[in-house]
Amino acid sequence: MTQPGLTPSSGPGLRVHRWLGLWGVYLVVALLLAIGRTLSADFLSADSLLQVVRDVSILGIVAVGVSLVTVSGHYVDLSIPAIMAVSGIVAVALLPAGLATALIAALAVGVLLGLINGTVIGYLRLNPIIWTLAALAVFDGTTRWAYGGKWVYVDKNTATGALFSQVYRGSVLGVVPVAVLLLAVSAGLSYVLLQHTVFGKRLALTGAAYDAARLTGVPVRRVVMLAFVWSGLMAAVAGILKTSLNMYGDVEIGATYDFQAITAVVLGGVALAGGRGTVAGVIGGVLAIGLLGRILPLMPGVGQDQQLAIRGMLFVIIVALSSYFMRKAGHRES
Amino acid sequence: MAHETPALRMTGVSKRFPGSLAVDHVDFEARVGEVHALMGENGAGKSTLMRILAGSFDDYTGQVEVGGRPVTLHSPAAARDCGIAMIYQELSLARKRSIAENVLAGRLPCRRFGWLDTGAMLEQARACLARVGLDLDPRTPVEEISQHEAQLVEIARALGHVPCILVMDEPTSALSREEVDRLFEIILNLKRTGLSIVYISHHLPEVFRVADRVTVLRDGKRVGTYEIGDVTHESLIEAMVGGAASEHQTHRGSNLGAPLLHAEHLSRYGFFHDVNLTVHEGEIVGIAGLNGAGRTELARAMCGIDPLDEGRVVLNGEALRPRNAEEAIRRGLAYLTEDRKTQGLALGLPVEENIVAAIWGRLSRRGVYRRTEGRAVASRWVDALHIQPPDLRREAGQLSGGNQQKVLLAKWLATGPRVLVLDEPTRGVDVGAKAAIHRAIADLARQGRAIVLVSSDLPELASLSHRAIVLREGRVIGELRGDALTPERILLAASGQPPPAMDEEGAT
Repeated sequence: MTQPGLTPSSGPGLRVHRWLGLWGVYLVVALLLAIGRTLSADFLSADSLLQVVRDVSILGIVAVGVSLVTVSGHYVDLSIPAIMAVSGIVAVALLPAGLATALIAALAVGVLLGLINGTVIGYLRLNPIIWTLAALAVFDGTTRWAYGGKWVYVDKNTATGALFSQVYRGSVLGVVPVAVLLLAVSAGLSYVLLQHTVFGKRLALTGAAYDAARLTGVPVRRVVMLAFVWSGLMAAVAGILKTSLNMYGDVEIGATYDFQAITAVVLGGVALAGGRGTVAGVIGGVLAIGLLGRILPLMPGVGQDQQLAIRGMLFVIIVALSSYFMRKAGHRES
Repeated sequence: MAHETPALRMTGVSKRFPGSLAVDHVDFEARVGEVHALMGENGAGKSTLMRILAGSFDDYTGQVEVGGRPVTLHSPAAARDCGIAMIYQELSLARKRSIAENVLAGRLPCRRFGWLDTGAMLEQARACLARVGLDLDPRTPVEEISQHEAQLVEIARALGHVPCILVMDEPTSALSREEVDRLFEIILNLKRTGLSIVYISHHLPEVFRVADRVTVLRDGKRVGTYEIGDVTHESLIEAMVGGAASEHQTHRGSNLGAPLLHAEHLSRYGFFHDVNLTVHEGEIVGIAGLNGAGRTELARAMCGIDPLDEGRVVLNGEALRPRNAEEAIRRGLAYLTEDRKTQGLALGLPVEENIVAAIWGRLSRRGVYRRTEGRAVASRWVDALHIQPPDLRREAGQLSGGNQQKVLLAKWLATGPRVLVLDEPTRGVDVGAKAAIHRAIADLARQGRAIVLVSSDLPELASLSHRAIVLREGRVIGELRGDALTPERILLAASGQPPPAMDEEGAT
């Protein structure tokens, strides 16, 4: 008569699985760096690496924002592309009123749209996937309606226009690109929020066990709402950066960021079911995606379409592996 | 009759869960055409034994024979193929689908290419419904029929597989008196057709009406099997509660202070009605009752988790806002849930985070959580309650049931509560942890905290509480204290016998 032990095995095996679940992404990053080095001699040069980080700065900001939503147990904010687009367009439209006004208004739009998502999902308890998908269509459609789908150009000849172009292009102390700095600030703030504040603790508890959190006195509705507000704010920052890069406002700028962000989040060891995840892991996921984006074009016969297909397949593999390790480590993934 | 091959014979059947032997070498036998009641307190092993029959476990040990033939019940399909059908306490019908689809689920009549034979389906469904005395249009969605009719549909579905053994788990828990009468009529008819029925219940009067024999389980072991004519209410209760009743030691302290918690005329329609309760400093007040009597609902509403329709809760002289768990916790009223796994702990988070979950606000300055202080608090509670293993980083889900329960208790003790409402504080924990939790509860009372103890563990309730109120169908039907506070008296009152004050009328 064998007594079945406690379901999750303990001991070294478990530790390895848990470690892989959280930090395995940096093994992927190291592997990608090695592959890149074999494909191109100057892949590991400081310039090249800084370029990788700059390339993923927009994605990184979106991903650290979304990770709070995922940790809260509400999967993902699919309306991110629309929030990015709307805040970008608002920034461009308000540039004549001054750069500060334009940026603050754009960020406010992100907070507002996040607030709408958060209220509907947190307080009215609508399914987050369905609601944010619908919100994407509504935000996007309304913007198209208002602007007729036209690009809204930044006037480079004005002082504010020139300044706006530096939001993405500029650099601090001549070395660190503003975009990378913004990523660092966003990630730093998200890290503090998620891992060092009462809000973050409550968020993780809500994601790990919603009912238990409620009975523990956690204001679960407000906590969930704030996660979406943060995600909206981060999407607005990303939208401003992307618009500065393009130098025009457009409803399409946010396309694929939702999918890439959730890939990075899961790759970074955040449990899709909620309750666990670190910002450092998410950044690892973002870096892995960035490196992949630089390596794939170096490979013979891989064009845009193949890249998209490869990314899609990778996402499936990552989610499968992540669920596998989490299950091995004794987590229910649903 | 006795020499006939029994419909079902279980010999030396055991089932072990981590940390406990839920069913311990049980022998059980059901004759052809017999209603055999299975009784026992909560946790006695009735449900586990039934789930073995249902094929829920592939690791039970012992022999099972159906109709004299040894069988292996390692999957639900195997159990069904052996002619064993189950009717669960919770209905398992697809409420949005029609009666016919539910009754014939898994064996819908088909023509070629999987084309549904609608005519045959309706005809077969009507025939099945007729066996349980139902005359309903089989096309009606299940959600449009009454609870009682749904129960019968469930039976009709079970009968559709032409079982020789029908297991029913508390089938009357949601039925009115007339509906119970009709159900019993149907059970007796089925019995005449040669079906063996295993009837799980802890309602004594029902068992005496419907059963031919009764088997009593206690702590996973079989106490005995009796012809119904050979037993009385009292002797059955004694068998269920066992010697534990008389040998229980008294933990309670004797210094009661000022009243801390007043519940006045609490009602939540459909769950409990006009409940009044006062708890003093240092006092442990028990709430007893059968499953479904409204104990948990009352406890939750009292602590601001579920809504109240009438009445109010006064804590330390000041009324609590209803439906506000946050305020209740802040003012020192803690509710320890009966559902540890989904409502109590976050099993995927470490022990440390679970223990400090209710006091994060207090452990932070300007919103920033001070981890070292949190760790110190958690560490203190792990030591105080001897949580094993003493590893703060281990995920709560990896601890044994007893240690999980200690973590949950620690979470609430860390809030420094003045009133603790404990709902099944020792459910699913091993003997050692149970004793430790009992000691902790008694100590808390001696320190002047007021405690409300909801429990279906009657010896626990009787030995820890100063007094206990007994709920039946949502109403307080009596209060027991002093020498009257015994497991036997509680069970008698809870299971529909007149309360002890009117003892004389209860004699048969």
